[in-house]
Amino acid sequence: MDSYFRIAGSLVGPAAIFAILAVAGCDAPPGSFNANDLYAQVVATRQNSQPGQAAADVSMVMESLFGTPDAPKLPNAIPTNLVDPENLTRAAGPVYSDEDDTHFGIYRSRCVVCHALDGSGAGPAAALQNPYPRDLRAGVFKYKSTPRGEKPTKEDLLAILKRGAPGSAMPAFDRLPQEDLDALVDYVIYLSIRGEVERRLIQFAVTEMGYGDQDGAAIDSERLILDAEGKLTDPELRQTVSQIIENVAGQWSDPTPITVPPMPDFEGDDLVAAIERGRELFHGQQANCASCHGTNGNGQAVTLDFDDWTKEFTTLLGISPGDKAAVKQMRKLGALPPRPISPRNLSWGVYRGGDDPETLYRRLVAGIAGTPMPGLLVQEGEGSTGVTLDQVWDLIAYLRSLGDLQLAGTSR
Amino acid sequence: MSDTLTQPIPANIDAVPPGRGLHRWSILIVCLVWPLIWVGGQVTTYDAGMAVPDWPGTYGYNLFLYPYQTWLFGPFDLFIEHGHRLLGALVGIASIVAVAFAFVSEPRVWVRSLSVVVLIAVIGQGALGGARVVLADRTLAMVHGCTAEIFFTLCVTLMVVTSRWWWAQSANSPRSLLQVSSFRPSGGLIALVGVVLALAYLQVLLGAQLRHVQPTASPGGFKHLVYTHIATAFLVLSLAAVAAWKLRSKAIGRQVRSAAGSEKAEANQNGCGDLTLSRPAMLLVLFVSLQITLGLATWVARYGMPLFAQTNPSMASYLVKSQAFAESLIITGHVATGALVLVTSAFLLLRLVRANYSRRPEWVAS
Ligand code: HEC
Ligand code: HEC
Repeated sequence: MDSYFRIAGSLVGPAAIFAILAVAGCDAPPGSFNANDLYAQVVATRQNSQPGQAAADVSMVMESLFGTPDAPKLPNAIPTNLVDPENLTRAAGPVYSDEDDTHFGIYRSRCVVCHALDGSGAGPAAALQNPYPRDLRAGVFKYKSTPRGEKPTKEDLLAILKRGAPGSAMPAFDRLPQEDLDALVDYVIYLSIRGEVERRLIQFAVTEMGYGDQDGAAIDSERLILDAEGKLTDPELRQTVSQIIENVAGQWSDPTPITVPPMPDFEGDDLVAAIERGRELFHGQQANCASCHGTNGNGQAVTLDFDDWTKEFTTLLGISPGDKAAVKQMRKLGALPPRPISPRNLSWGVYRGGDDPETLYRRLVAGIAGTPMPGLLVQEGEGSTGVTLDQVWDLIAYLRSLGDLQLAGTSR
Repeated sequence: MSDTLTQPIPANIDAVPPGRGLHRWSILIVCLVWPLIWVGGQVTTYDAGMAVPDWPGTYGYNLFLYPYQTWLFGPFDLFIEHGHRLLGALVGIASIVAVAFAFVSEPRVWVRSLSVVVLIAVIGQGALGGARVVLADRTLAMVHGCTAEIFFTLCVTLMVVTSRWWWAQSANSPRSLLQVSSFRPSGGLIALVGVVLALAYLQVLLGAQLRHVQPTASPGGFKHLVYTHIATAFLVLSLAAVAAWKLRSKAIGRQVRSAAGSEKAEANQNGCGDLTLSRPAMLLVLFVSLQITLGLATWVARYGMPLFAQTNPSMASYLVKSQAFAESLIITGHVATGALVLVTSAFLLLRLVRANYSRRPEWVAS
């Protein structure tokens, strides 16, 4: 009989845990998108002022315009060929699928652990990654075909989703059906536009409205206030907000890829010579790749630099990323601990942005947006500051020889 | 066998051999529940928990009448979710049969009650799974995953206490049937394995938190969960290793003595100490080691190669692949092996407790 009590006893513990879980056992509904408190602090610090209620009030305006994670809305200024409303609802919201294998809530199912509900890149699993998942709200993307300051094309986003970024946590989603990928691309654009509009509105609120001042926030005309229908009370502010949305959405309207001139036909001795010229350039003064990437691209050069998402709330505000106390204030507002960015070890031939000559050409010419990796200045004749077109191809021949790739060969 | 019930119940009830049927049937249930945990794990790995919106039916059909063509050849998510439900129902039916077996052939009242507990548990587990679907609630999915492991442990308990080994430990049983060692595990050893069992379940809870993380969870919290999960894993490994070593050391001790020339005959006979205890302990260490390896692999499959491990091109080019089948087997395998760690420690604990109880000096002497 006493083993009976032992067994009964062993059930009590799990049963208690079960009871606790069952009581707590309901999802916290996501409710609203998080306010971008970090950016409000960044803007205020630049201004030497305080963010006050700016982020919270902007967030309220944002909700009236863009909806919530479960019920997203599309402002009129965003064309439906850019973000398809059907794709938007399919990618957003809770996860389920139907008998026809149509999936809903795809973003929450596949992306949210890393990129977070609002696309801040500070998802639950983000803190242990290097590089961190992209903060989509800043509207800056690394792997794209367009000039450095421009938005990626939809094809670029689709490409990174399908290909993933080897060596980072960003998975390849090539097993998802095309409709799901299209929906995700639209949702990434939605989150990005939403995030950028929010940032600009915060910037406006802190610099142009009363939020930055000590007592300005007390004056109604200096604040963002919604009427009963959820519209801004002040018509002038309404105008400003639609202007901001239009501007941000406009950047996405038709980003143009960098045109890639035809690649020279390197063969045999020509190729050997090109690689040799490329090696010299790589280590020389003009391109100076070796200063960051190390001799023969071995990744051994000593550098200490950060990406733009990190610099925004540290060095650009005069805060050293190593200053634990100051950084802690930013982390409380949602920043992840600063991580140095290291130039890639190119001798391994691992390319997150794709390794075919065409995308490599664009990456060398434009650099990598958001990172210290600079673009090359391409000029007509040979000079001391820039490189010629042929020299770019020489560099690519050299890079690909490092990773044991054949120039003309297709991607591994 | 059923006539055991009509016979007068002996003073020491443990002495009566329980019906073999219940034991064999409970082995069958254990062998069904482990795959059930695999399939359930796949449901979570593929995030397919909401591939069938209704419950207890499937798209309006009775669970068992859902067209098998759509099930087998329809969407993959539906295949695993509906398959999980069918297998779960099978385990439910098997549990009903177990209760029947118990009431027909099992003389020990508490074992009969245990079979009823198993049945209630499987019903509760099914209802919890249903609530997860009906309420579309991910937290309930996590609870359902955690209670699955308790259910599995209950099934293994039923299996252990109905085994021949169990009753052969009894003082009144004809010892010739099984060779019973005289090694009596200490209370300390039992406590040690008890801690391993508790920590193994803690690991289940921590792992479930990571797998079923809420979209709004904080990165800091997740990071700490991961660190705790890893630290506890190595704690479990060390404690399990100590337990295995202690069980082993008896044998080693005997061998040392036999090398010295004395008690040679006994040492030869019992050369490995009590294998029925040392083997599960070794198995536990093996499973925990495998589990740690799978855990690291799961991290990589989900979140990529950590930077410190990117020391050569093949490590540095590791690409996370969403929805890849081989990777899903690693991830779900980590869940399933976790269940094995849990039930192996439960198995060992039950045997230790039993051996400690039945090999009391006064009993052994009698
Ligand atoms: C396991 C974590 C993880 C998951 C899941 C994940 N990502 Fe990422 N993602 C990352 C990381 C890390 C980066 C940054 C890679 C880099 O900087 O090289 C990234 C980068 C990106 C980028 C930016 C690419 C660029 O050109 O700058 C986009 C867009 C993106 N992810 C979209 C998605 C979408 C959509 C999903 C869901 C289908 C998703 N990600 C799922 C980790 C993840
Ligand atoms: C100021 C330092 C710096 C210089 C100079 C520099 N790079 Fe980089 N490069 C970087 C950093 C940092 C990264 C990593 C970016 C990232 O991780 O997102 C990088 C990444 C790369 C990549 C990898 C892209 C991918 O898809 O993974 C290539 C290729 C590359 N650099 C080539 C070059 C070449 C060729 C030159 C010379 C023309 C050069 N870099 C000069 C800092 C530099």
